[in-house]
Amino acid sequence: MTDSQSEATHDGAAGDDAAEPDPPGPLDAVGAELAEMVGATNWSAEHGTLRIEVTRERWTESVATLRGRLPFFSWLSAVDWSKETAVGELAADVEELQERFEVLCRLSSVTNADAAIVATTLAKDDAWIDSLVPVAGGAEWHEREAAEMFGIEFRGHPNLAKLYLPDRFEGHPLLKSYPLLAREVKPWPGTVDVENMPSTENTEADRMSAADAANGDAGDEA
Amino acid sequence: MTQLDPRVAMHLSDAAVSVELETPDMTLNIGPQHPSTHGVLRLIAKVDGERVDSVEPVIGYMHRGYEKLTEVRTYAQITALVNRIDWVSGFANEVPFVVAIERLLEIEAPERAQWIRLILTEMTRISSHLLFMSSYPLELGAATPLMYALREREHVMDLIEGATGGRFHPNFNRVGGVKPAAGGGSTQKKVSQDLPAGFLQGTLDAMDKIDAVCDELDELVTGNELIKLRTEGVGIIPADKAIEFGMSGPNLRASGVPFDLRKHEDILPYDQFEFEVPVGGLGDCYDRYVVRLAEVRQAVRIVRQAVGTIPSGPLQAKVPRILKVPPGEIYVRAENPKGEMGYYVVSQGGRIPYRVKIRSASFSNLSVLPWLLQGSLIPDLVAIMGSLDFVLGDVDR
Repeated sequence: MTDSQSEATHDGAAGDDAAEPDPPGPLDAVGAELAEMVGATNWSAEHGTLRIEVTRERWTESVATLRGRLPFFSWLSAVDWSKETAVGELAADVEELQERFEVLCRLSSVTNADAAIVATTLAKDDAWIDSLVPVAGGAEWHEREAAEMFGIEFRGHPNLAKLYLPDRFEGHPLLKSYPLLAREVKPWPGTVDVENMPSTENTEADRMSAADAANGDAGDEA
Repeated sequence: MTQLDPRVAMHLSDAAVSVELETPDMTLNIGPQHPSTHGVLRLIAKVDGERVDSVEPVIGYMHRGYEKLTEVRTYAQITALVNRIDWVSGFANEVPFVVAIERLLEIEAPERAQWIRLILTEMTRISSHLLFMSSYPLELGAATPLMYALREREHVMDLIEGATGGRFHPNFNRVGGVKPAAGGGSTQKKVSQDLPAGFLQGTLDAMDKIDAVCDELDELVTGNELIKLRTEGVGIIPADKAIEFGMSGPNLRASGVPFDLRKHEDILPYDQFEFEVPVGGLGDCYDRYVVRLAEVRQAVRIVRQAVGTIPSGPLQAKVPRILKVPPGEIYVRAENPKGEMGYYVVSQGGRIPYRVKIRSASFSNLSVLPWLLQGSLIPDLVAIMGSLDFVLGDVDR
């Protein structure tokens, strides 16, 4: 818990830096321009990754408009923001977290380094969105993948059949609530590392105790 | 005139009938185990005689669920996964992932580590393209170039193995740098071992051999009339289609789009070196072959410059022993031998990523197949598929 708090303070510090009136870098200029082009609800340019958020209603239109500037269809996928997890880690701010799907589509230029991720939010109980296939043929397989992995419906898709999974597969594996069968059967040996990690202080004493702990665990396993 | 045997006459009349038969709507199944699919790919082709009406690729036979697996592994463990995505260019897969984590942590690998990453990435490109140079003529019926290309590729593979300890799965990149060379011991030690002795000179020697094999391939393949007949004007992808389908790497450049992420992204110090971006004109199978061969020569050029200018210094930046990545979202892409390889990493501030989206080049490159193969001839199908140079591990992830 203390760790997540320290992470939170770190995040806050980064936010303060961003609030200072720095001269806008080229990414910020591009971001502002693109966001205006599509009437974005929000946009950000952290870590060199431009994200433009639009509403679901303006999804297809926004991607079509942006393809005028950024024609290259790079990828489309989704993120499951969920309070429950059968495997892996919970979101850090799980209490405040809004259960939702985030659908992301990355477009980029083929003449310079400009690129943007178009993002929109879907409610879990209303998980559909218009297909991008009419505006970018490359979206077809990406949408089939997102549909089977997250259970998102892409309306207007010509053939929303399963892409990777067998036809009769049930469930949507990339949902946070979907258990990873391998871990159900046998816990990953890596959990030994994860659970018994010493503090982040990189001291000789810690290293010694870490080595002891690791040896001890190895002995228990055997 | 002798009377025909009635049984022969019957067969003859059958043959005459079959010539006039309508032939649409025949389904031809190709694969999943087919020698030219570079993995397990199945194509369901609707054919009309020799002409392909439509093709439906069936993928997923190699789906290993890497995006799910990343959600239960620490960042350090994931580098062992990602170099198995496109196993022909394992080293190049690791670089954008570790750079993504480095950027979230706001650390930078030391210069020497960046140079080593660059040299090994370019050597991976040479090895990947030489595999194409050997397998593609083989798919067209020319078995000899394989012997030449694979012979010289082995020098590169030996060097990669010497430095990293792995031929195909180097697992050599670490957040903040690269692993001390094989047998070098813990990264925590102050004096860590560097590249193996003789690596740089060995690399220069190998580059001479690669240059020589490029000349040999030029003689054997590039001007070969039979190869040209099979590939020129076949499987043309216009630039706008390539862009719409997200085709990247040599496949995109063969269509005449001079876009190379090495010129635009700063994850490796490519701006320090002189090299050209070869492009094709028409976007046919022949262009895709020629562009790759030209890229091998450019990669050799980059490696020579990089070996000559490699700075000395540490291989590792100072990195917390337990990697806790601050919350954030980042997408980092790199020019892999096959095209744009990228990772969208969502961190929630733990040891394990919340979500990793893997953008692999072959997936998008292959997704053009149904459009591309429509109306082509069955004998061209293998020529077109092979020219896209995909690896099924990179498609299925």
